Amino acid sequence: MSLAYPFALILSVIALPIIALYILKVRLRRVPVSTNLFWKQIYEEKPPRSIWQQFRHLLSLLLQLLMLLLLMLAVADPYFSWQLLQARRIVLIIDNSASMRAADVSPSRLEAAKREAQNIVNGLRFRDQAAVVLAGETPEVLIGMTGHVPTLREVISNVAPSDLPTELNSAIALGRQLVGDQAHGQVVVLSDVCVNVPAAVDKISGEEAAASDLATDVASTALPATEDKTASTAAPEKKAEVEVQYRVFGTDSSNLGITQFQARRSLIDPVGYEILVSVQNSSFETITCRLELSLDDIPVDVVPLKLKPEEKWSRSFEKTSLEGGRLKAEITQVALQQSDPSATEKSSVVDSKSPESSGTNATLDALATDNVAWALLPGRKVQNVLIVTPGNLFLQKVFEANPLVNVSVVKEFPTGNQWPANSIVVLHGKVPEKIPDGNVLVIDPASGCDLWELGDVLENPLVTDQDKDSPLMNHIRLDNVLFPEARLLKYKSPVHSLAKTISGEDVYSQLNRPSGKCLVLSVNLDRSDLAFRTAFPIMVANALGWFSGTTGELQTSVATGSLAPLTVPLGKVPGPDPKLSGTGRYVSLFNPSGKAVQVPVSVDADGDLESGTIIAGPLNEPGIWTVQRGDAAPSVAVPTGVTSIDDNQAENVLTSIAVNLASERETDLRPNADLVALQSKSSIAENWFSRPLWYYLAFIAVVLTCVEWFLFHRRFIA
Amino acid sequence: MLFPPDFLTRVEYLSIISKRVFRGQLLAQRRTMQMGSGIEFSDHREYNNGDDLRYLDWNIYARHGDLLLKRFQEEQDLHVYLLLDCSRSMGFGNPAKFDLARHLVAALAYIALADLDRIGIVAYADGIIAELPVTRGKARILPIMKFLEDLPTSGQDTNLEKAVQGLLHRGARTGLAVVVSDLFDEHGFQRGLDQLRYRRFDAHVIQLHDPKEADPALLGDAELVDMESESIRKVTVTERNLKAYKELFQQHQISVREYCNTYSLGCTQSPSVVRFDDLIMRMMRETGAGR
Repeated sequence: MSLAYPFALILSVIALPIIALYILKVRLRRVPVSTNLFWKQIYEEKPPRSIWQQFRHLLSLLLQLLMLLLLMLAVADPYFSWQLLQARRIVLIIDNSASMRAADVSPSRLEAAKREAQNIVNGLRFRDQAAVVLAGETPEVLIGMTGHVPTLREVISNVAPSDLPTELNSAIALGRQLVGDQAHGQVVVLSDVCVNVPAAVDKISGEEAAASDLATDVASTALPATEDKTASTAAPEKKAEVEVQYRVFGTDSSNLGITQFQARRSLIDPVGYEILVSVQNSSFETITCRLELSLDDIPVDVVPLKLKPEEKWSRSFEKTSLEGGRLKAEITQVALQQSDPSATEKSSVVDSKSPESSGTNATLDALATDNVAWALLPGRKVQNVLIVTPGNLFLQKVFEANPLVNVSVVKEFPTGNQWPANSIVVLHGKVPEKIPDGNVLVIDPASGCDLWELGDVLENPLVTDQDKDSPLMNHIRLDNVLFPEARLLKYKSPVHSLAKTISGEDVYSQLNRPSGKCLVLSVNLDRSDLAFRTAFPIMVANALGWFSGTTGELQTSVATGSLAPLTVPLGKVPGPDPKLSGTGRYVSLFNPSGKAVQVPVSVDADGDLESGTIIAGPLNEPGIWTVQRGDAAPSVAVPTGVTSIDDNQAENVLTSIAVNLASERETDLRPNADLVALQSKSSIAENWFSRPLWYYLAFIAVVLTCVEWFLFHRRFIA
Repeated sequence: MLFPPDFLTRVEYLSIISKRVFRGQLLAQRRTMQMGSGIEFSDHREYNNGDDLRYLDWNIYARHGDLLLKRFQEEQDLHVYLLLDCSRSMGFGNPAKFDLARHLVAALAYIALADLDRIGIVAYADGIIAELPVTRGKARILPIMKFLEDLPTSGQDTNLEKAVQGLLHRGARTGLAVVVSDLFDEHGFQRGLDQLRYRRFDAHVIQLHDPKEADPALLGDAELVDMESESIRKVTVTERNLKAYKELFQQHQISVREYCNTYSLGCTQSPSVVRFDDLIMRMMRETGAGR
């Protein structure tokens, strides 16, 4: 046996005053009494201060010395050598994914897992160490290896549920790294194992796989594609010996959830949009429900659904809206499909007035997080367009056909070159010497100007090269369009080419100038069949969108836990001049609960100076996340539930993004059967004799103190 | 100062109250049991040769032919003897039991003197240590107070019997005897009271005790010093011992009460922390209620 703190033996000197006080004869208290008449009767049978009395005093001394010895040893912290050799290193991996919110295990899966973790921590033996890892989208070490049980308990109790998908493998890999080469290492996974990991994954952690180097390869190939990276780090050769135990908290609960919800603007209808929604029934029952779609709290559609077991229902909806807004999909009135035909018919009818149908059935739909999904629909602005053309009906009609455009057609330039503000100028043929400021679309320029010089005529140019990444070229193919004639333009400054001929001449160019955006299409529209092609209205629509600043038709709803790059207009973000510094600007990223974090804005070195990019995330909460000015107060945050915002708030909001759980595996609350079968039966939870030696020494000392306390009350005046 | 300045005022008040309460049944207004030449008829008895023929009831003889002699109750002044325990045990407590005892003796003496009775005070410990001869008249209250004030506690072996015997040897007339004591008498308080009963004294016992005697807050090792004998006893007082002590003390109190009840003696038991006038008022109420 060894002592951790041998200097504690110095406490033995306290025995000296204890013995001294015992040896020294203590003068008894003199108590005058009116008569000894009664005391005499009491002590007649038993002489006072008998041998027993003396012995009891000696017993008291021995008790005191024994207490001192025990306390001294407890402070010295003795331990056996085998305790050092058998010390364990346990990594507790707690899954706090969205599915752990399910309440099929009382009070919830996560709480049950935390309770088990506490039991394991309480069962740590002397010299054992434990670490706690959170299995989120990316694993997080809440506390490293330590033997301090109170700290471990506090960390475990502070684990909060999240809305993230389950990601166990990277957490297990991290756990193995924490265990290291320790002989008695264990990784304990406390999860509902709602993962798509095949059973082979667990085998790699077992002793079978440890015998073979091939095990790591098996593990890597056995994992899904999204988990390859983590698996490869999870199974280095030596780490494969670490034992992984699964503790499963969950039952085969039924659940219904929205696994996909996206919206985008229609490619055909300028005010139209499309919704894609998927609902999954992860149960063994046929379930009926209602899918309610709303845009800014205005109902858009209500769809009664009857989903068979394991059925995944998907549909796209086409709707119209000019303003756009926040789209919300919600599952309501979940009910079990009755078996008899009449009941089936009855249950298929959705009764919105029934009080029972106002909510969801908790037994059929154990997880509420995936019952609501959000998407953002960008709004459309009405633009003024001034067309200066000698006359082209196709050109005029392609703009007039767009309901978002107010078209004015003139044949001559405005008097004194007074171009209207806030209008897109379309110059067809005739071009002024100086291109007007603002947004300008030039088609078939007939002369040179301040931006280019007119070159030769190109005969039958064939477009072979398109900028597929540019939003201006979305859904356009010009390689099969006949262009009998085009103009060769010699630009005075570098331009961004959107379409080139086979010989490298630009026919469609994007000019970046400080005074406004400019597009130049140098083909002869009158002689080309472009005006007859569907590419032409799409090209115009793309140009209008680019002029209006609408960067994309699709604002993708992302899954919880992911990172998303977002573009913010620099003009609305206070900060140093990006030309000079390029950085130093911050925006506030508000989560759906209204809490904000400051996020730096980055500006591309070769990009335009009008917009910057932020990396938002991890977006770990479902709902609408908003990016606001960096100096925006949290009070102006727009919670997810609020769909209409005032002008003050709208001015601060730079951009938004919708975040949904949107995970089929999280919606399926049924634990992976393979992993459930591997669940460990052995218990490393709290039991007797798992505590350090000093604990028992201190306990015995307390017992002796009680004995001495009893004697004290029998011997001394209270 | 033993007697406060308003002591006489308070005892005068008690005197007035006593007359109202007892309506002539207290002290001097009580009839003695002496048969003699009084004027109040008591009963008849058979005539014997030699009896005074003046007391023969001629009416009865004329009607029935029986010779019966009329008897009359003799009216005498009541002699009140106040036996004050001056043993050292009476000095126990704060305030000492002895102080209350002297207050009581002085107050009872005043009430008796005010009723034209004769009082005598006997201070005793091992035996009679001081004595105030039988006297009468309210004016004697001041010498009585002076006598009481000068009394010390003394003695090492309280003996009531010896004190009563001394009183009887002095030829004391039968009367009311009030014993004021804690009755911590190793010889037995009964023997002294028996002597008074045998001599047809109308005895009344006032037993005083200190609260700490009834419930001593005493535990653990201690040297118990007897205030009378000054004997020291080293003891270890346990909860059990303390409980036994309390039981013995209560038994002592009960034995005094039962003795007095058995022989129809007046008995007043009180802690020493009460005021003397309150205690006398309580005695008056108990006595009045008993009659």
